[in-house]
Amino acid sequence: MSHDAIDAGAPSGGAANGAVVKRQLPPDVAILVFLRDRGIFVLWVLLLVIFAVWNHPYFATINNAMLIVSAASLTAIFAAAVATGLFSGALDLSLPGVAALSTCVVGVLLKQFGVPVPLALIGGLGVGFLCGLINGYIVLRGLNPLIVTIGTLSVTSGLAALVVGGYAISGVFELEFMGSARYFGIPSHAYIVAVVYLALTIFLTRTRHGIRMRAVGGNSEAVRRAGLSDQRYKILGFIISAMLASLGGIMTMALVFEASANASPSILFTALTAVFLAGVSLAGGRGSLPRVLIGALVLATISDALTIAGVPPYWATVATGALMIGALVFDKTMTESISARLVKVSTMTVHEKASK
Amino acid sequence: MSKSLENAALRLSGISKHYGYIKALDDVDLEVHPGEVVALLGDNGAGKSTLLKVMSGAHQASSGEIAVNGRKVDRYDPRVASELGVEMVYQDLALIDTLDISTNLQLGKEPLMPFPLNLLGFVDFRRMHEITETQLERLGVRTAPAERPVEMLSGGQRQVTAIARAAVRLFERGKGTILMDEPTAALGYEQTKMVEGLIRRMADTGFAIVLVTHNLPLCFNVSDRIAVLNRGRKVADVPRSEADHSSVVAWITGAERAIA
Ligand SMILES: Nc1ncnc2c1ncn2[C@@H]1O[C@H](COP(=O)(O)OP(=O)(O)OP(=O)(O)O)[C@@H](O)[C@H]1O
Ligand SMILES: [Mg+2]
Repeated sequence: MSHDAIDAGAPSGGAANGAVVKRQLPPDVAILVFLRDRGIFVLWVLLLVIFAVWNHPYFATINNAMLIVSAASLTAIFAAAVATGLFSGALDLSLPGVAALSTCVVGVLLKQFGVPVPLALIGGLGVGFLCGLINGYIVLRGLNPLIVTIGTLSVTSGLAALVVGGYAISGVFELEFMGSARYFGIPSHAYIVAVVYLALTIFLTRTRHGIRMRAVGGNSEAVRRAGLSDQRYKILGFIISAMLASLGGIMTMALVFEASANASPSILFTALTAVFLAGVSLAGGRGSLPRVLIGALVLATISDALTIAGVPPYWATVATGALMIGALVFDKTMTESISARLVKVSTMTVHEKASK
Repeated sequence: MSKSLENAALRLSGISKHYGYIKALDDVDLEVHPGEVVALLGDNGAGKSTLLKVMSGAHQASSGEIAVNGRKVDRYDPRVASELGVEMVYQDLALIDTLDISTNLQLGKEPLMPFPLNLLGFVDFRRMHEITETQLERLGVRTAPAERPVEMLSGGQRQVTAIARAAVRLFERGKGTILMDEPTAALGYEQTKMVEGLIRRMADTGFAIVLVTHNLPLCFNVSDRIAVLNRGRKVADVPRSEADHSSVVAWITGAERAIA
């Protein structure tokens, strides 16, 4: 009998309890699934090997690895923010504004009010929390998240300028411990990214609130019919997303010693590139966080390697854009041929049975 | 079996439903008893889906009464229906494609890991899969493994998963009503057979089932009673044994009436 056979509902009462045979995927489908879900890891390893050979001996060094990690970290944090939003079903465009506002609040708290560092950080993340909550509430009134968050993008970046009085606050050295500092030779940002990704991945895949949040992104109707509040989980998505943006903003400030009200959309687009490279779906509910991290690393690796090779930086932009579109096409092709194969298997079973 | 003595799992009396000027339902009575499959037939636009939505609380009747387990219900919406043990299998299935069968079935009552991990809400996936396998076993359903994502299932497997989810939600109370709107509309022969078997087994374990369908063979194979709507009115309601193919067609087209 074929692997994924649909038993015609044969009463299985007679089957011995322990004798439940695990039906495996057919090997060709399993390979396609592997490529679709792990392709980005393969791609990254390939890139590393190619660049190591091409840029020998400058690329494959510990020092350069740390440069890549550094460069990838901020993208990774913002990408996690975007991805969390998408998992729960909403693309939040206000993230750069939220980051700028949080940054400015922390800057003012530290520089003008002399607030201790931990409190200032809590204040900054609290701003993110509030922004997420507000975004969530407005969107739940039935408005389109894209348009709402474009509005809050503008509101938050305006408020950020208001907070710092129109000028950037410079000389913010208090946060160096989470900026350019290194511990055991590894940039501080790498530790933050590691903790964030580990905690968030566990939350999303192992705990019931995380699973429900992804369920809302996949099909909020199903969650509602299970008697759960889909709204709570949507708001949770906005909150986590905004707080990560705050964190990203604060990490940027820690690196450049300056609180700027300039909400740069470029970080959002870089993050989006990493996220889509990782196969996260704009339709919501689909994707995996570890892959997003690899997506951020791939972007950083490409621009690092091309810089070392002396290729003008705009080629890196061209390459990542093309790569992202390639990733989309790849994902779609894979998904289609997987379902085509699965359908073929089940109809084949029917014909086999019919011809008996 | 003297059905008049036992309480109907779900009883509608004098239900009418207007959509603006359109009268989708006109003074319809219908009841379904535990262990019984009622097939609801009718031509396109006859009002079958509307009646089912009234039963599930998704739409409010313009007039008429609803009683669940013999008790009249005043405020009736999907939440109340669900609390009273009335579950609907929607045509759109409402499955979460990206999650596995198990999670789809157990959403909202996921088993947690032992202390202290339960405090953080850690889900015990192994137990969740076991619970799912046991429940599917009880229903006599063999689909794909419980940890397979729903998006990788065939149409029939998806349909079975959606029906099983409705049944599973009623397991704890041991009885209840399941409403299905054209569960085999998109299915081939083999898969229809699978759904057919599942419906029959669920009725045999004591669930009351209302099944809207255009599929006459399915109707004759699984139903105990056949009710027919024509332009919003109930024109027939008879035990299956008293119906045959030609009489059913006559009722559907409106050529004859038969109210038992
Ligand atoms: N939401 C609605 N608003 C207005 N009219 C509606 C609505 N839903 C159904 N109707 C009308 O009510 C009548 C009954 O529709 P219903 O969907 O119940 O039919 P049905 O028996 O399920 O048909 P089908 O077999 O095609 O599914 C039709 O005339 C339809 O146009
Ligand atoms: Mg209908």
